[in-house]
Amino acid sequence: MESSSENQQTPELLFRLAQQLSPTKDIVQTTLHVEGKQAYILYLKSAVDETVLHKTVVKPFYETASIDIYSSYLDSAPNKKELADDHSLLIDLTRGHVLVAVQEHYFLLEIRHVGFDEVQQITLEPTIHGAQLGLSESIEVSMNVIRQRYHQPSLVFDTMQLKDQSNREIALVFDKVLVNPRALQLIKKRLKNLDFPLILSSGDLQLYLNGNKKSLFPSCMLTERPDRLIYNISSGKIIILVDGSPHAVIAPAVFFDFMISMEDLYHGYWISLLTLFLRYSGLFACIALPALYVGVTSYTPDVFRTELALTVAASRIGVPYPSYIEVFFMLIFIEFLTEASIRLPTAISATATTVGGLILGTAAVEAALTSNIMIIVVSLVAVSTFVIPINELGFAVRGLRFILLLYTTFFGLTGLAIGLLGIVLFLANKESFGVAYLKFGWKNRKKELGIGEK
Amino acid sequence: MGKASRMKRCILVLVLLSSTILSACAFKDIDRRLFVSVIGIDPAEKLDKGFKVTLKIAIPFGAIKQASSPTFAYLSEEGETVGEAIRILETHVDKVLEFGHMKTIVVNEELLKGDLQEFMNYFVRRGDLQMISYVTAARPSAETILKVEPNTEAPASISFFNFFGGTGTESPFIVTCYLFEFRRDYFSKGIDPVLPIMETNEDKSELIVNKSIVVGEKGKTLELDSILTKQYNSLVHNASGFSYKVKEDGLQLLLNIDKIDTKFKILSDDGRPSKVVLTINKVGFIGESNKPLSPKKLPYYSNLAEHALKSKVHELVMKLQKEQLDPFGFGLRYRTMRLHSSDPYKLWEEAYPDIEFDVVMKIHLKSTGVTE
Repeated sequence: MESSSENQQTPELLFRLAQQLSPTKDIVQTTLHVEGKQAYILYLKSAVDETVLHKTVVKPFYETASIDIYSSYLDSAPNKKELADDHSLLIDLTRGHVLVAVQEHYFLLEIRHVGFDEVQQITLEPTIHGAQLGLSESIEVSMNVIRQRYHQPSLVFDTMQLKDQSNREIALVFDKVLVNPRALQLIKKRLKNLDFPLILSSGDLQLYLNGNKKSLFPSCMLTERPDRLIYNISSGKIIILVDGSPHAVIAPAVFFDFMISMEDLYHGYWISLLTLFLRYSGLFACIALPALYVGVTSYTPDVFRTELALTVAASRIGVPYPSYIEVFFMLIFIEFLTEASIRLPTAISATATTVGGLILGTAAVEAALTSNIMIIVVSLVAVSTFVIPINELGFAVRGLRFILLLYTTFFGLTGLAIGLLGIVLFLANKESFGVAYLKFGWKNRKKELGIGEK
Repeated sequence: MGKASRMKRCILVLVLLSSTILSACAFKDIDRRLFVSVIGIDPAEKLDKGFKVTLKIAIPFGAIKQASSPTFAYLSEEGETVGEAIRILETHVDKVLEFGHMKTIVVNEELLKGDLQEFMNYFVRRGDLQMISYVTAARPSAETILKVEPNTEAPASISFFNFFGGTGTESPFIVTCYLFEFRRDYFSKGIDPVLPIMETNEDKSELIVNKSIVVGEKGKTLELDSILTKQYNSLVHNASGFSYKVKEDGLQLLLNIDKIDTKFKILSDDGRPSKVVLTINKVGFIGESNKPLSPKKLPYYSNLAEHALKSKVHELVMKLQKEQLDPFGFGLRYRTMRLHSSDPYKLWEEAYPDIEFDVVMKIHLKSTGVTE
């Protein structure tokens, strides 16, 4: 790599890299020279902050007295990176690194420009009290958000590069004193063995980390709440940040983590106890209610009060299909509604829910296609699904209903009991990064924060 | 290998799917069921030995809110046994007879004088019949009582259930007897069950329950009139809201008793039971009076009431003793307090006809019922 400083010839490395990058037009390759001093710069315009570049690389070149001083100036720059092979150099260039050649030396400086570095409003898990701003799509800003809320020298950011096509940077964030070492080891191993061609955001990274492609229940948690992140770091969990994604992955996550809203910590004891109770009863209602309807009306109407049995029987007069088909159709219908209102812009989704929920529901009852009680059950199920604070569990639960419905259709209330037992067994058998999924971390808050898992 | 397992999976899915078309034998939609709410049993009219079973079936219908009264259907059939009659009745209707909501068994008064085992056995054996069903006696016949549709009955509710167990009305005149209780008391020695008697008025628009009947062994029965029923109920079931009229020198008081505490003790003499001491504590206030009352004279009023009530209780126990009936369970108590080897019940049976009763009545009136 000997290059002649006398001739105005581009160093070979720069030339080679530029050639490999072409024909992209945002490549910039310039030569700075004044009074015998010479420096060569190579970077990609679309990735580099040019104002900073001008201030920290170009301007000093003209201000320094000799080329040696400039060279040692660059050498001591804090954003300097070590050079590696051509391939990683190219990737570094696409990330916003600048390659400077002075005399025989090469300097790789990171002068990244990120257009999407604003901290975002929290939309997925809004709370009344608590943080209103979440993470950013830029990993540096997200790291800053965490660091500024958790001032501990033991907080570690372990950054690495994904080995897929996007070559995105990810960061493992944990407290090295409190962290669960087994989980950390497992996550590192899984990240190393990750071989998916393209990872788009933390959402799919989380799925690939799972180890099981077809699992119904999530084993990592996605969140955008910095307070949840801090809470989890301080109880020994590991956070994975992905550049370009405003959500962080928390691992390992157990079932009960998904049932907690950060708001619980901000309310008084009785209020959070009440909301917790509401949440679990909502969970039970949205899992079991459709199956319970089939089981009770078609197998054991003795469970009802007499008055209710007569009312239910009356409301089913003229309904042409057996109860399980009725329930199945109504559940599908409500899933349509939920899907439609999630995907549509807010202005239109209101119309969809009104037309779907109110008009269709009433008309279906009027036409004796379903019973009134069924409409009540289905609406209750739909509403109680939204009580679950974390979306991923909500989706899993939506699937569970159908399994329970199937069991109950075949075996009545016994089937419901067996199905519920099966779910519990399944969950107990599952684990998330070495932690049992149904682990009941019954500690008081002080203890949980103070000791964590070691 | 892969192909074979895929075939297997396909077949499994097909089998599962096709099984949805079959509905299992237990799967029966609620609108294919008829809810039997009350069963009535009468002696057979056509057969010389057997029963006539009448079912009162609640019919659900569309707009409950608009309906003015509930609709019922009645099915009657005679058979040598209750089970037989019900089996035949199942062929008279297009839907399944559902007994899960059957909560009242109405038995013709006459049948209580015979062998109960013949027809009560069926109810205890059937799994879907609840042991917490109420049992009542009917006068003049179970069928008549079943067909009464009271004016006060609301749609989708069954007035037969509301009478008992304090579900609806709460009155000291109404004795509640559950099926399990009835069976237990009937078969155990030393206690006799008491059933309420259901009657109706002339135009069959009301159900009336204020009398009761003590059912002893071997067809021995004794009817208690309203006053005695009330006394019995207040002593055994601590029925609250108990009111009692006291008349003395032109002063007429109606007491409202809200707390009753009854204890009894069996005293022995020479190893033979000789005396039963009934201690009754009542707390209440004066609910009605024909003269102005003074709060200072409350002990006097209490005293008046004690005397009047004591004689009534005495009358009740004497009457029961005369008939050799024991709904209080004195005999049962005696049996439990003695060693089984000494056969205490035989001793008791011999002693009961001339045992002495000592009634200690303590009434504490809290107020005259008027704020001054």
